[in-house]
Parts: sequence; C-alpha cells; structure tokens
Amino acid sequence: MSASFVSTSYLGTALLPSIAQTQSQLTALEVESSTGQYADLGLQLGDQSGYELSLKNQNELMQTLTSGNGLVTTSLKTSQTALDSIRSSAQSVTQSLTSWTSTEVNSGATLQSVGANALQSLIATANSTANGQYVFGGINSSVAPIADYFSSTTSAAKTAIDAAFQTAFGCLPTDPAASAITASQMQSFLSGAFANEFSGANWTGNWSSASSVNTSAQIAPGETIDTSTNANQSGFQQLAQGYTMLAEFGGSQLSSAAQQAVASAANSMITQGTTSITETEAGVGATLQRVTDANSSMSSQMTILETQIGNLDNVDSAAIATKLNTLSTQLQTAYQLTAQLQKLSLAQYIPT
Amino acid sequence: MSLSAAYNIINSAFLSNAAQSAAISSNISNASTPGYSREVANLVTNSYGGSDVASVTRETNAALLEQVNASTSQAASEQALAKGLTTLAQTVSDSATSSSTSGSTKNGNSPSAMLANLQDALTTYEASPSNVVVGQAVVTAASSLASSLNSGSAAVQQVREQADSDMASSVSTINSLLNQFSQVNATIVSGLATGANVNSAQGTRDSILTQLSQQIGISTVANPNGSTSIYTDGGVTLFNVTAQTVSFTPTTTYTASTTGNAVTVDGVPITGASSPMPIHSGALAGLANLRDTVAPQYQAQLDQIAGGLVNAFAENDQSGSGLASLPGLFTYSGATSLPATTAMTGLAASIEVNPAVDPTQGGDVSLLQNGGINGANYTYNTTGAAGYTGRIQQMIASTSATQPFDAGAGLATSDSLSDYANTSVSWLQSQNQQATNQVDYQNSVVSQATAALSNATGVNLDTELTNMLNIENSYTTTAKLLTTVNNMFTALINAA
Repeated sequence: MSASFVSTSYLGTALLPSIAQTQSQLTALEVESSTGQYADLGLQLGDQSGYELSLKNQNELMQTLTSGNGLVTTSLKTSQTALDSIRSSAQSVTQSLTSWTSTEVNSGATLQSVGANALQSLIATANSTANGQYVFGGINSSVAPIADYFSSTTSAAKTAIDAAFQTAFGCLPTDPAASAITASQMQSFLSGAFANEFSGANWTGNWSSASSVNTSAQIAPGETIDTSTNANQSGFQQLAQGYTMLAEFGGSQLSSAAQQAVASAANSMITQGTTSITETEAGVGATLQRVTDANSSMSSQMTILETQIGNLDNVDSAAIATKLNTLSTQLQTAYQLTAQLQKLSLAQYIPT
Repeated sequence: MSLSAAYNIINSAFLSNAAQSAAISSNISNASTPGYSREVANLVTNSYGGSDVASVTRETNAALLEQVNASTSQAASEQALAKGLTTLAQTVSDSATSSSTSGSTKNGNSPSAMLANLQDALTTYEASPSNVVVGQAVVTAASSLASSLNSGSAAVQQVREQADSDMASSVSTINSLLNQFSQVNATIVSGLATGANVNSAQGTRDSILTQLSQQIGISTVANPNGSTSIYTDGGVTLFNVTAQTVSFTPTTTYTASTTGNAVTVDGVPITGASSPMPIHSGALAGLANLRDTVAPQYQAQLDQIAGGLVNAFAENDQSGSGLASLPGLFTYSGATSLPATTAMTGLAASIEVNPAVDPTQGGDVSLLQNGGINGANYTYNTTGAAGYTGRIQQMIASTSATQPFDAGAGLATSDSLSDYANTSVSWLQSQNQQATNQVDYQNSVVSQATAALSNATGVNLDTELTNMLNIENSYTTTAKLLTTVNNMFTALINAA
C-alpha cells in the first residue's frame, strides 16, 4: 500500500490520546489555579525536592528561633530592669552616706536602716523572675538565687557574720563591750574576716544558690549566646557586703570613730559595686541588642527564603490562565475534528 | 472458443467475486479490531481466460509489529516501576502543602519534615528547658519521626509484596500465553503444510505476541516451516517447537532483609542479580527492578536515617569510667549498643522513642534535658540545675553534625542527618519523576508505533467500499453477460 494509506480505525482514534492528555492537563491546571502551587510538587521538582524541603526547614527553624527569642528578650529585659533598680538604689545609698556624719543624733540608727532597706531591696530584686524562672540564677533557675538575710530563722549568712565578729572581738556588735573597738581594728576586720564572708565558698554556701554558669540559647542558626547573668557577679557581692556592714554595725554599740570607719568602708564598697553592676547591665544591654539584631537578620533571611520557596512551589497565575485558554481551545478543536472525521465516509455519499 | 467456454468464464467470475466479497466483508467487520491485518484476495487469469482466486493473503509488516511489541514491553516495564514509585512518593509528599506559619507543625510525613519538626521542638525546648510541656512536645515530635520511618519502611515492604504478587500473576499469564501460542503455532505449521488458509491463526499468533510483550520483553525468529520461536530480550528461549516453563515461587511477607525469588525459565534465572541473561523490559522486568533494586535502596536509605538518628542522639559516658555510648532519645527493639553503619538493615521498621523519656509509657521527660536515660553514669546535668541546656544543645547540634553513612544506600557516605534525609527525598522524587516521564514517553512511542502498524496493515473503509462498488459493477456486468449468452443460446435453440 502507498505511504498515504490511513486505516479507518486510526482515523477515528487518532485524536483520542491527545484528548485524554489535554483533559488530564486541564485537571492539573484546575488544582494549580486554586492553590497557586504545582499540582504535584514532588513530580514537578524531582531531585530539587530535598533542596526545597531544606529551605522550608530553615525557614521554620528561624520562625521557631524568633519565637524563642521572645522568651530570651523577656528574661533579659527583666534582668535589665532589675539591674537598673539595683544600681539606682546603690547610688542613693552612696548619696546618703556622703551627707552622713557620725556626729548627728541617731546617726547609727540611720546607717542601720539605710543598710537594712538597701539589702532587703537588693535581695528582692536579685530574686526577680521571668516566665517562672529566676533571672539571676544562672542555669540553676528554679531556686531563688540570694537567700533572705533577714529570715525569721536566723540565716546562714548572718550566723556566719556574727561568728566572725565574735571571733575577732570576743563579743557581738550589740554588746556594750563593742564600744572598745577602735577604728583601725574595725577597718582590718572589715577588709579581712568580714570580706571573706562575701567571696568564694562562703558566698556560694551562705548567700547564693545561683550557678556561675549562665543559661545559654541559640538565638539564630549557629549563634548561641549566654542569655542571663547570675547573682555570683562581683557587683552583687560588693553591694551585699557594703549593705551588710551598714545593717549590722550601723546601729550597734560601736564608737563613733569605728562607725565612721564602717561608713567609709561601706561607701567605697558600694561605689565599687555600683561600677560592677553598671558593667553587668551594659553586658545585658549588648546581649539584648544581639537578640534584636538576630531577629531582624532572621526576618530578612526568612523573606528571602520564602521568595525562594515561592519560586520553586508557586505557579505563575498569568501563565496558568493562558495555558487554560490554549488547552480548552485545543480540546474544542479535537472534539470538532473527531466529529467531522466521523462524518467523512464514502458510505454517506452512495445513494441506496 | 464456444459459448460453453463463455459460461465457464462467467462461472469463474462469480466465484472470484464471491471470494473478493468475502475478503472485503472480513475486512469491514474487523475494521475496528486492534491489530487486525487486512486480507487481499489475489486473482490470476486461468487457462481458459477466466479468473481464479490464487490466494488470500494478509497485509503484514513484521518490522512494525516488532517495533510495537518492543515499545509495549518498554512501556509496561516503566509503568510497573512508576506505579511503585508513585506509591512510595506519597509517603514523602509533604511538598504539596504550603510552608506553614505555625512553625512547629507541618503537614506531610516525610522523615525529613519530621526531623525538622524535632529540631524545632528541641530549639523551643532550649529556650525554656524546665518547661515539661515543651519537653513533651519534643517527645511527641520524636515519636512522629519514628512512626514516619516505621510507616515509610512498611510502605516500601508493601510495595515489594505487591510487586512480588504482580510478578506471580505475570508469570502465570506468560505461561498461559505460551500454551496458547504453542497451539496456534502448531495449527499454522500444519495448515501451511496442507495449504489451508491460516490467516486468522496468524492474526491470533500476532496478537498473542503483543500480549506476551506486555509481560516480558521478547524477540522472535520466523522459521522456514512458518513456525515462530520466541526468546526473551535477554536471550533465553521461551518457545522453540515447545513452550518452556516459566517458574516463580512467590514470597508473601517482606522485611528489609528479605530477598525475593528470581523468575526462572527452564532453570535459568531471568531476573535478579544472579541472572546471567536478565530481561530488560516488560512488566516482569519493571516489577523485578522495583522489588529487587529500587525499593530496597529506598529502604536502605530509611534504615540509614533511622540508624543515624539512634547514633546522633546517643548518650556518652559522663562518669569518666570509659563506658560505651548507648542509645538515647531514639532506640530500637532489642538494642544493646549503637548500630554500625553497615548493620542498620531493618532499623527503620524497629526504631522507637526510648520508653524512658516517654511519659505515655511511664518515662521521664526531664531525662532529655539532663541526660541519664541509661542511668546515672550518663547524666550530663550533674547538679540538677533547672536552666541547664548543654545536653539539649548537643542534641540540636548532632542533627546537623556530619556523620558517616553506608555507601550501599546510594547517597553520600558522609553528611549531616538532616541533609541526608533531604537528599533521600530528592532521590525518591527524582526517581518518580524520571519513571513518570518515561511512562509518558514510552506510551507515546507505543501509540506512534501502533498507528504506523495500523496504517500499514489496517483497513480503510473507503477503500473497501470502493472495491465493493467495483465488485458490484463486475457482478452486474457478469450477470448481464450471463443473460446475454443465455439469450443467444435460446435464440440458437429456437432457430433450430
């Protein structure tokens, strides 16, 4: 037979595969136009699926980190506020001490009350919490970092200080015998046995339950920072030391010269403490800034990631509309042709 | 020449008209029969000037038929593979959902997505380590990951079981077709020897060959006596004078370590690694490839991910007494030690969240934060500090740390766990994409080849109708001739 020979069965069915294909493309397009994404992404992306997944995972990790950073920010801001209040109360104590003279009436009681109030407020502020966690506890965030010095059952710290005084002078500060203590004796006690109570094992044993290890968290992919400070910082120790001097020895039986020595030692200690606290506060401020920077950098990265994911996943709606038109025209033509071809038979034209 | 001779010629004209009409009728009635080859009645002039039907032949085109059969085999093979791969791809089809904004949950259940969810949960846990509810969310995410691996592995084995049972039915179809072929072939050989019309038997034989090529790739050789021999496309004899028996013992239950039986012809394996002459196409080849190569490779990848998880979350000795590292958050049934990369077969099916940290199984979530799942020697947070995040940070880091993988799974031998899981999804989706594209391509090749064959050997109704009109005219004329000759005889007789 010649090359132009066409079998009737082929003539009738030639367009069937094309019609079926067009119809299946149309159903896919329907899905795509309603979701804005490829109908079968896995099939569309093939070996890029893993890349697309990794982009999505990265994006979600950043979302998780951003919401986690909210907690970090809360805890850091609480620390900042607390440190701020500790610093300002220390500054006001320093001011009172500057204007204080040992000669005025009830001078000792004034010292005592200034010290006791400041110490109480230091302890309360150091025990601030955020999200149920003590912000100055380091990783030991479930326990109040500074024990209550004035608790009804005599605190370990007070017992230790009384014992140290007893050892040095053979009496308690409230004992009238204490009036015999000279200013220089007092000075050497304050810088010696008394100072020892605020450092090392004495501090961690009697005063602080905080861990020196700070809590840390990831604030951005690969960026882990310390997200807290702790009450074992020198600022806390120095302030506690200065305040305790005033509280314990201010209203005591000490001579006015010895009281003067206490006041000046306390003044210098509190000034040092204020400096340390300011440094810590600056550190917290810097950390907060890092968290804010991490958030904004992650936010711009997420925008880029979402754009990239969109480039992979999303279909061009204009292209879909054009494709829909083309396909429906094609389908109509195919139907029309099939109907026309069915009519084309010699049998129709032979008179019976 | 005499008037009686004219009678004879007229008679032969009627006979050949009838034979031609029969051929045309057969052609018209089979115009829509797939694979039908049109018949042609061949006329010759006989000794006394009339016409005889010398033969009725089929229009055949062996080359095109071969092409149709070969492309049918290829398409069937790709279809079998694509069917299995599409089923497997369903298990990782989370790409179809848009990226969620909730950040912690994602639709779909690929191990890769579940691993990312676990990382997110751990990151949240790191921000509030003493929060038990957040810790439980980590355990939940870990359980989802373990069950994603379990169900992925189950899907792989189900695909293999299905392939195995499809192979069994394919083999029984092949045997039944070979038997039919044997009978038809014998009919043709004896028919040709006795000069009978074997056209319809030859049509049947061609159609059996096309059906056979659906199941198995074949090549055929025509013998001088009219019989046909069939060989697999790998070269093993399927039919030569007698049909060979194709045998296969199905395996009903598959696990990661199960190896399916090979299909054998006369004792020679034609599928599987041990086959000296493997088949390359046909549904049987596609199914065997799916069952023995593609699905097990994906299983191996899942096993590597599972084993990698057990290793990444393992707890190290913290007591300094040199104890071996033991499974932590993830463990597997019967675990006594960490699995080596070469011994992870079947882990994806048995990986589970350690009951020691799962509150629903009486476990303690805080062991995640502090370590110590394997006892006090493995406790990282020795002071019990509530804000301790060191262990959580280690776990987060371990999912992105590089670790070794077995080369047998076909992916990188050194990669981070999350990248490995992503690559595995890529691998599966790309296999699926290729197979689907191949199916589309091979199907269009089949329809092209079928169209070409149909055009070469099929029936055109208009042509048949034209021929029929010719025959009708010829019949009318012959009848007229008969009347005329008859009139002449009558005139002759009346004159006498």
